[in-house]
Amino acid sequence: MQKSFFNKKLVIVLIALIISFLLIAFSIAVRNNRKAPTFVQQIGNDAAGIVDRVVSYPLDGAKNATSSFFNLMNTYQENQQLKKQVDSLAAKDAENQTLRKENQQLKAQLKLSKSLTNYDQVTAYVLTRTPSTWQNQVTINKGSLAGIKKGDSVLSRKGIVGRITEVNNSNSKVELISTNNDSANRFAVQVTSKSGDVINGLITNYDTNSGDLVMGQVTSKKKIEKGTKVVTSGMGGSTPKGLLVGTVEKVSDDDYGLPSKIYIKPAADLDDLSFVTIAVRTDD
Amino acid sequence: MRTEKMNYYFPIGLFLAMFLDGGLTQVFAKQMFTNTMAMESRLVLLFIVMAVCYGNVEHLVMWSAIVGLFYDMFYTGILGVFTMILPLMVYVTKYMFQFFTRSFIVVLLIYLIDITIVTFLFFWANSLVDFTNATITDLIGRTLGPTLIYNLAWFVVLFLPLEHFFETNY
Repeated sequence: MQKSFFNKKLVIVLIALIISFLLIAFSIAVRNNRKAPTFVQQIGNDAAGIVDRVVSYPLDGAKNATSSFFNLMNTYQENQQLKKQVDSLAAKDAENQTLRKENQQLKAQLKLSKSLTNYDQVTAYVLTRTPSTWQNQVTINKGSLAGIKKGDSVLSRKGIVGRITEVNNSNSKVELISTNNDSANRFAVQVTSKSGDVINGLITNYDTNSGDLVMGQVTSKKKIEKGTKVVTSGMGGSTPKGLLVGTVEKVSDDDYGLPSKIYIKPAADLDDLSFVTIAVRTDD
Repeated sequence: MRTEKMNYYFPIGLFLAMFLDGGLTQVFAKQMFTNTMAMESRLVLLFIVMAVCYGNVEHLVMWSAIVGLFYDMFYTGILGVFTMILPLMVYVTKYMFQFFTRSFIVVLLIYLIDITIVTFLFFWANSLVDFTNATITDLIGRTLGPTLIYNLAWFVVLFLPLEHFFETNY
């Protein structure tokens, strides 16, 4: 009887389970505490990244071909709409440049070389996406060699998409803002109310059913209009100030009358990323 | 002589399947992850199941553990999940396969059972480390059904080529 408890297979299964749990615990610790993963992990990830570039090349080519075909279909309509916008854009651009220059001069006078809105841009393309429902994560083709640090914000053309969670030499992982990971590093955001007051909060959650981001930790009772822009506040971490997150979709009150949750429609399309920009904050 | 060839072909195909999983997910992300459904690509499992049923591969458990480790390292960053699940699936498939004679339908059913087990185990591992707060109802409604359909489609497409691949190199 005693022998059947200690048969070889059972021992192997138990040891494998224990190793597996140790590995999981170890990687969570690495993820939460260390700037970069271990040496062995980095080598494996870099090698996998290089091979992945070769494999995904034809796939990306096929995708580009189909999407350019569909783009061609509605080019005429789009062209007419864009023509109207272009005229006003030139004027805005000129104004923007003047303001930027003035801002620089004023900063120089104040000897304020670093502020929350300054950041360097690194452009990268998306290598692959994690085939998982539970982690909204993509891998990009730039890593610590390009100056990327853990915790940097990642933007698409339209707005913020996520945050860097793991940095290897030549690739890094981006946790998208739509994650429901309880231990994820949250974005501090702000929104301006009807009366002009700034309301601060955090992106606390993502509503999978509606595709909205949920802004929580709001303590103000001020009225917020639908369609107001929500931007990062630059507080508490490595996110620059003033990056667009999305627009207010609806405000829901809790039982005590405080607007506890603000639902935000993300500006960026989180499921259609091919190129991203990493904002490396320069003031630290 | 022929099985020796398999020693090279099998790992190459296995890693190709692994990278295709991520590549396809990236390309079709808009279709695969919507508000109501989420599909998880598991071509690597299809390759392993076909190898168990039709192939004569040495060190199958070892290779599935290695590819599982890379899967964890490159995709999720949490080691030890697929490193365990994939070798386990080799055993489970081998065990189930004893009771049947192999045919398209049998392998298909075994594959669907495998996908279900993997989806549940992967969900369990993810909720264990607090990566998700979804409930089992969310899992069944949003992920499991679409995942089964998606992988079933790939199975139908890839069955004959893979069968041919494993049988010529038997």
